[in-house]
Amino acid sequence: MKNINLKKITIKDLAKIIGAQLSKHGIEAVLVGGACVSIYSENKYISYDLDFITYESNKKIKTALKEIGFEYDKKKYYIHPDCEYFLEFLAPPIAIGNQPIQNFNTISSNLGSIKILTPTDCVKDRLAAYIHWDDKESLEQAIIVAKVQKIDVNKIKKWAQEEFNGEKIKDFIEKLSI
Amino acid sequence: MLEVLFGNQNTERILFTLLLSKKCYAKQLADRFEVAVFGVQTTLQKLERAGVLISFKEGNTRLFEFNPRYPFLLELKQLLKKAYEFLPKEIKDKYYEPIIRKRPRRTGKPLQ
Repeated sequence: MKNINLKKITIKDLAKIIGAQLSKHGIEAVLVGGACVSIYSENKYISYDLDFITYESNKKIKTALKEIGFEYDKKKYYIHPDCEYFLEFLAPPIAIGNQPIQNFNTISSNLGSIKILTPTDCVKDRLAAYIHWDDKESLEQAIIVAKVQKIDVNKIKKWAQEEFNGEKIKDFIEKLSI
Repeated sequence: MLEVLFGNQNTERILFTLLLSKKCYAKQLADRFEVAVFGVQTTLQKLERAGVLISFKEGNTRLFEFNPRYPFLLELKQLLKKAYEFLPKEIKDKYYEPIIRKRPRRTGKPLQ
């Protein structure tokens, strides 16, 4: 950590460093949300917010992250004075709609490793936001990931059918095939 | 009724209110239940952090509603509906189903 310049770090590398630090303290966490979109889209979408989900206590997380200079602020984020990214720990479970998520990808390098939503679940996560709140930005993010990564479109269609009667998923399929 | 499960009375009041009214804000609840705004705000924020609620700004007011992506929302609402049936009518009428005019009223129209 001493030789790493946090001012110029990529979101992917930061996620791995955080993963390694948490793991050192016995904390298992999964990266979710916009950071997954950033990583899978190879920064076509930029997120400065790394959302993690863990079942461990805030006390344990605070101790682990303080060691590498990330402090808990009053707004419930972990911030570092040299780093433009901020970290947040969301309440479990890891779910998309009514479905618990059990399978993840792991990204790793010599910096460390972190579990992350699969590209298909990342797309589902964004589509859920689009469907619930009509958030066009979430739809765009889903499309960006779907175009760059290999995703299971049939699985997404089945999920959308079960959760939302297939409503609005057509927008995604149409835009994907353009 | 569900106070013991939820840990405090504000949580029960917030969740019953949302079950009936879909949206709420701290001052409205504090006035309705005659409690401190700070306590209500704290509970609303706790529920938001837990993923049960989401919030939006409308003007200067932060409105809260159930998070449609909360994985246990259906089951939570079923529990709340069941518990709500057991509330005495006076409590329902006073706090959760007061007769409030919801239809529009033209600006400036005098009250009769």
